[in-house]
Amino acid sequence: MTGFEIGIIGFAGLLIMLAIRIPIGVAMLATGMIGYVSIAGWLPLMSFLKTQMYWQFTSFDLSVAPLFIMMGQFASKAGLSQALFRAANVWLGHHRGGVAMAAIGGCAGFASISGSSLATAAIMGQVALPELKRYNYAGSLATGALAAGGTLGILIPPSIVLIIYAIMVEANIATLFQAAFIPGILAALGYILAIAIVVRINPKAGPAGKRAERAEKWEALLDIWPVLLIFLLVMGGIYIGIFTPTEGAGVGAVGTFLIAVTRGGMRLKGTIEAILGTANTTGMIFLILLGAGIFNAFLGFSELPILAAEFFKESGLPPFSILLAMIFLYILLGFVMDSLSMILLTVPIFWPIIAGLDFGLGPDDLKLWFGIITLIVVEVGLITPPVGLNVFVINSMAKDVPMIETFKGVIPFFISDGVRVAFILWFPILTLWLPHLIRID
Amino acid sequence: MSEGLDTFVRPTDKVGRILYNLTAALAIFGGLVVGAVAVMTTISVTGRAALSMPVPGDVELIEIGTSTAVFAFLPFCQLMRGNVIVDFFLTWAPERVKSGCDVLGALIYLIVGGILTWRLSHGAFEMYEFAETTGTLAIPRWYSFPYGVACMALLLVVTLYTLVNYFSETRAGSVHD
Repeated sequence: MTGFEIGIIGFAGLLIMLAIRIPIGVAMLATGMIGYVSIAGWLPLMSFLKTQMYWQFTSFDLSVAPLFIMMGQFASKAGLSQALFRAANVWLGHHRGGVAMAAIGGCAGFASISGSSLATAAIMGQVALPELKRYNYAGSLATGALAAGGTLGILIPPSIVLIIYAIMVEANIATLFQAAFIPGILAALGYILAIAIVVRINPKAGPAGKRAERAEKWEALLDIWPVLLIFLLVMGGIYIGIFTPTEGAGVGAVGTFLIAVTRGGMRLKGTIEAILGTANTTGMIFLILLGAGIFNAFLGFSELPILAAEFFKESGLPPFSILLAMIFLYILLGFVMDSLSMILLTVPIFWPIIAGLDFGLGPDDLKLWFGIITLIVVEVGLITPPVGLNVFVINSMAKDVPMIETFKGVIPFFISDGVRVAFILWFPILTLWLPHLIRID
Repeated sequence: MSEGLDTFVRPTDKVGRILYNLTAALAIFGGLVVGAVAVMTTISVTGRAALSMPVPGDVELIEIGTSTAVFAFLPFCQLMRGNVIVDFFLTWAPERVKSGCDVLGALIYLIVGGILTWRLSHGAFEMYEFAETTGTLAIPRWYSFPYGVACMALLLVVTLYTLVNYFSETRAGSVHD
């Protein structure tokens, strides 16, 4: 058998194992090891594995992940969601659909210091759902807005998925965070626009809230100073290159810890919860990374990525149709898989293919552009049935809204995602403008 | 990803309780290491900005801290069944089929985990013989290995425990069907 054939069999084996509920990290470890042995032999694998785990876990690039996860955990306990929602609500609430728009605004604010979509959805859901209910918002609009708003957690940096992508394609994490910034803001604006259109079609779905006094508006903005401070200090520092992302995440973890203690009233119990939450998420991510490391070593031996790249380069197919096919595949995978697993599974094959095609962009720009597109389309999986995790989280909080209503409520936001992807495909400048403006070397 | 909303279900049987306490204590230790790394980084960044004096060897400390923490997290993650599965194709399958697959998953984890632990212990000897150290602080790299092997050994025990649990769920499922 050629390496190529073994590579294909390995991939098929991996997919079968995933289908029968084998944990994704374990499945990658097993197929990776078997494939490695079939191509390179037993002894090379045994020698590779002696130190592979150690080097993988001591990788400086990956050290940013536990720190950002810890920062997000403390941010969730910092009691900021109420203030964030209120700050958005006094500015937007008096518009038709304004309270739902405020929920999106609050999500965007929380997303600027947290890298998790589920946490963003859950944290803002607790605060915004009761308010939306009080103003008689349609259940589908309320839950749909929050499920979609939650995806901002990953779309607006910091973003764990983006960090993993950056490491896989050997891009600068800070540059990718810059690239994600404008598309992330566009996502929030696109969701707000989607709400505006929904309430124009059906005004009863989202009545206007009460108008706030001018003084109240500024006072509410002042009340979110901890978020602004952390954002300016951590993300600002990373964006303009004062910090490396790891340093920024370390400072952010300390900062959110202090805010959680002083403002969120976090005590020993809450601290232990946050630490165990960090442990669980970090352990899960690093098991997958370990599996992906060994699986990718095997894929490298099989030469599958190179051969696939050559095949598509020579096929004469228009680059954009190949990219569109990938996007379509991501949407399909999103129905069954979580975003991180999708990235780890596909990028080792997809990136070499994309890198070999001519999109009229330099290699560094192409990495950024493809990364942001991938980030958006894998996040769509969080709001699509049957395993849209955000939808489940929000729906479990809004007991009176049937699941089907929530999935219906997500549709306008899904369309908004589609429009945004089209814009970002068509105008790479949206992604590339900020990284070009602030060059970090 | 489930950060921020983890609900940890503690095992109620005796072995499970002991394992929970062990793995949670180890995970909290790992979390404190991450916290220490965060504090050290903050001091280093401040020192660099204010006095142009970062903590010497900060990069090495971050790297070693991360690996120390991650090894400590793996057993807890497995006990809490925190590892990601694709719950799609078998969503509507009977519980018995699902837990049967989970038995297989735990078994495969036990095997690959066993291989990794075995190789890691050999890696310890290799690192010790070559006496490799980190660049600035000259911390011997082999220090991490016996610790890693100990964490992996606990992971194997936990995986065995979850395997037995899934297996009894399979049996219980067949009674209910």
